[in-house]
Amino acid sequence: MTRTLALALIGAAACQAAAPDAQALLAGYDRLRNGWDSFSVRVRIQTFENGKADEAYDYEVYQKGAERTYVEFLSPREKGQHLLMLGDDMWIYLPDTSRPIRITPLQRLQGNASNGDVARTNWAADYNAVVLRGEAVDGAQCHVLELTAKRKGATYRKVHLWLRAGDGRPVKADFFLASGKHAKSASYDQYETVNGRTVLKQMTLYDRIRNSSYSVMKYDEWNPRQLPDRMFHQGRSERF
Amino acid sequence: MHAGIVLLAAAATLAAQSGGSETRFAFSLGDEGGYTAGLRAPIESGTNLGIAQGSFAWREGGRFRFAASAAALAATAEETHSRLLVKETYFGFTAGDFDFLAGKKILKWGTGYAFTPTGVLDPPRDPSDPTDRLGLNQGRELASLEYIRGRHAVTAAWASGGMLQRHRPGLNETFAARDNFMLKGFDTSVIFAKMRGRPVLTGANFTRVVGESVEVHAEVAHCESTVVLAGGQYSFRSGVNTTVELYSPGAGGPRYAFFRIGKSRLRELPGWKEWDLGGMVLANLRDHSRLLIIDVNRRFGNHLSVYGRVQAPAGAKWRSEYGMIPYAALLTGGFRVQL
Repeated sequence: MTRTLALALIGAAACQAAAPDAQALLAGYDRLRNGWDSFSVRVRIQTFENGKADEAYDYEVYQKGAERTYVEFLSPREKGQHLLMLGDDMWIYLPDTSRPIRITPLQRLQGNASNGDVARTNWAADYNAVVLRGEAVDGAQCHVLELTAKRKGATYRKVHLWLRAGDGRPVKADFFLASGKHAKSASYDQYETVNGRTVLKQMTLYDRIRNSSYSVMKYDEWNPRQLPDRMFHQGRSERF
Repeated sequence: MHAGIVLLAAAATLAAQSGGSETRFAFSLGDEGGYTAGLRAPIESGTNLGIAQGSFAWREGGRFRFAASAAALAATAEETHSRLLVKETYFGFTAGDFDFLAGKKILKWGTGYAFTPTGVLDPPRDPSDPTDRLGLNQGRELASLEYIRGRHAVTAAWASGGMLQRHRPGLNETFAARDNFMLKGFDTSVIFAKMRGRPVLTGANFTRVVGESVEVHAEVAHCESTVVLAGGQYSFRSGVNTTVELYSPGAGGPRYAFFRIGKSRLRELPGWKEWDLGGMVLANLRDHSRLLIIDVNRRFGNHLSVYGRVQAPAGAKWRSEYGMIPYAALLTGGFRVQL
């Protein structure tokens, strides 16, 4: 009896040691989405409605660390607009003006692929992660993580994220609003190697409220480079 | 000669180190027709405005910048008058923590939507068109030096009273300084300005986001009198955004209220998400006159948008600010193509 109990305890301890570190897995996910501490990347979002190409948006995203993102809008209709994210705070700059407009968290969610989807990609800073279970997806064993927002700047209140057990690559994700509504799903479609690092090249966001609509987000021209701190100051008069 | 070669080599090295050059350009073409209904003055009831606008910006790494934008207008009432507006033309460079800029540039220090007591260098704000929907705001001829370090961005600027454009009314030579910083979620600015012929203006403004849905902003400025603005925005889960402002332009002057409600992408459904709808009310709280504005915009693809606008004043005719507007309604409609 004592020996059986001891063996059971040893087995339990071994299982505990083998349980994956959810926050470490999430940090690995962040490295695929944000390859370097300071970089820029060109993002193109093509939306589809009932299978047909609908709207297209282009952005130049500049990121420094987990808390600072600057987005330049390049599509014809939005040209001249800029978005700045500092921690939980976001501003939008309109053309012909150096005056920023503060955006509320709800305003970030508006649109098909929201400002938060483009600008807020450091999930380890925004979410607490726990491993819910293991699950096989398309023949690959995955860890299923539940992410719960730990700060008001997080785009979604809850995320379920499937990461491949072998290499930590994301396979898919579900996004939930504060109301509990399942708003979007994502599939992580392609990767590429840039300067020796594996980074995300394409993902697809599916609208789960209107199932006829989805957006393909493509990441190109990854450019690791030193970005000046002044680029990320909300009071700076110069906006390129 | 040796010194010249050394300088050229230094400049070339600096340019090479700063990471290459980038350019941005944009061009748009538009036309807007207007009709005044219930006209009470001997002016043309029908008007037309053609606008062509272009902008160009060049950046050499993080160090040198040049930008220019202009608008060509052709306005037709009884006759056609054409004009070229230079909105901005300026050159800037960065040295260490300093940004230097000289030329004609739009600077906006105010945080208000329809009004701004602290916007000492801002283009004149028209509360019935707070976003400058036609993009016709012009910059001031100025030179500025900005120092950004840590949390603070400190700007000192001199703006002329009009060197190349002496005919712009209401412009005074101005020296101004601003310190902008974030403090516990408040985006805060402290502003000092001295306009020729007027006492020193001291002012401050802030914006703050509260919770998920609320943004508040306020400005106060004291020059000859104290001018105050208080306002806020509320975002509904449905995507509707509202803005409210109260403005008091000094002792003895009228108080104003501004309210705007609008939604971009009316519904996330095919045929609906291309529509934007908004309405504004601007009221003089002293004489109770009001101006009501409704805007509708419809996008076609990535380049074309078509819009309509109705503007209707109300108030005691000829005895109130908006009641003096000599028409019952102004209807405008137009299109804009952006490349």
